[in-house]
Amino acid sequence: MSYNVKLDIFEGPLDLLLFFIKRDEINIYDIPIAHITHEYLDYIQLMQSMNLQLAGEFILMAALLMRIKVQMLLPHPEVERLEEIEDPRTELVQMLVEYQKYKEVSEQLQELEEKQAHYYPVNLNADFRNYDPELFLSDVNLIELGLTFQKILAKMPKVKSIGIEALKISIRQQVLIIRGFFRNRTRIRFMEIARQLSDRIEVVVTFLAILEMIKSTEIRVSQKDIFGEIWLTKKRSEENNVIANA
Amino acid sequence: MLSQTHKVVLALLFGASEPLTKSQVDVCLEEEVDLEQIIEDLNIYLESERLPVWIQNVSEGYRLMTRAEYETWLSRLFQNKGKLRLSRSALETLAIIAYKQPIPKSEIDAIRGVDTTLKPLVEKNLIKIVGRQDGPGRPLLYGTTTHFLEYFGLSSLKDLPQAKELTEIVSEEDNLPDNAEPNATE
Repeated sequence: MSYNVKLDIFEGPLDLLLFFIKRDEINIYDIPIAHITHEYLDYIQLMQSMNLQLAGEFILMAALLMRIKVQMLLPHPEVERLEEIEDPRTELVQMLVEYQKYKEVSEQLQELEEKQAHYYPVNLNADFRNYDPELFLSDVNLIELGLTFQKILAKMPKVKSIGIEALKISIRQQVLIIRGFFRNRTRIRFMEIARQLSDRIEVVVTFLAILEMIKSTEIRVSQKDIFGEIWLTKKRSEENNVIANA
Repeated sequence: MLSQTHKVVLALLFGASEPLTKSQVDVCLEEEVDLEQIIEDLNIYLESERLPVWIQNVSEGYRLMTRAEYETWLSRLFQNKGKLRLSRSALETLAIIAYKQPIPKSEIDAIRGVDTTLKPLVEKNLIKIVGRQDGPGRPLLYGTTTHFLEYFGLSSLKDLPQAKELTEIVSEEDNLPDNAEPNATE
């Protein structure tokens, strides 16, 4: 069955069911429960595929629909007269009818709101300097937010070029900084140096500087265990010279 | 021409920051007047002089309003860019509260089938807490405010729109008060 529900914003499970009832011209007092359950579950899957998190009420309604469906399938052997069996749909129908009434009223209220918005009261105390239109926006549901976010994303200009910033630091510069640490000590921890670095690339360059200093045998690096503290030890200059001369 | 009484009532309407009631007018004029007739006369006058205001019967009183055709400029004054309207969930909630007040939140949730947030409506002064229900937990009861009537341009709760099956809920369903803008040129 093709599926062409456009993503209307449904206020809740009852609203969604009423949508199916209206769309498929279903008699609200004689709902084909298998059909509506199928449609309902399809919609829920669609919502999930869009990564919209479903409110608990939608799941609860799915459970109610399936319970009704099962009850309608089960035979009632103990009851002799059919009239004594209560239609398992009754509760749902009552909920839908009640909700439908208020939904209608709310639509009429919306028309009144629209009409009234054209008039402004003559008001000597009107304070139009600090009018806060944001106050009216606090009633947004998750789906609206999700859809708005998608719209904004779609409108975003496509990134055509990605800027690459020139590195402000160099290995040489970091070597000098590390040497500064060794001015009056022979052993320092790597973390001591890293703590003063502000971003990731600085850490990387500093690490490269250390590797460079190891290569030139200026320092020695030791680590007691995996992920443990890294110690940098300065080699004595004589030692250094010996190696350099070797 | 307008009589002195008519002019006084018009002055009162200018000065009042809230809908002006009949009892307020009677107190100010120190006599009982046929306010309904005066308002009707004033509206005819305001229309014939093509003045930009009219008098609306709203929230159990009367209020001087600008006409719809001046909305463009007023919306600039109040900086309400675009039309900010209540959301559908807010309207649904208001419809339920308007008819079933005083009503606890749990009943609203049951009818809507979802968890309802009432705080924004309280903040917008469209609903208010009107008491507590007897019984377990003594839940808060909500009702509509006078601002609710003003916001929707209703003269009273009897004026609420009727859904097909809601007519039996409201006792007086007859004589809908004439709340339309007289001879409005829209």
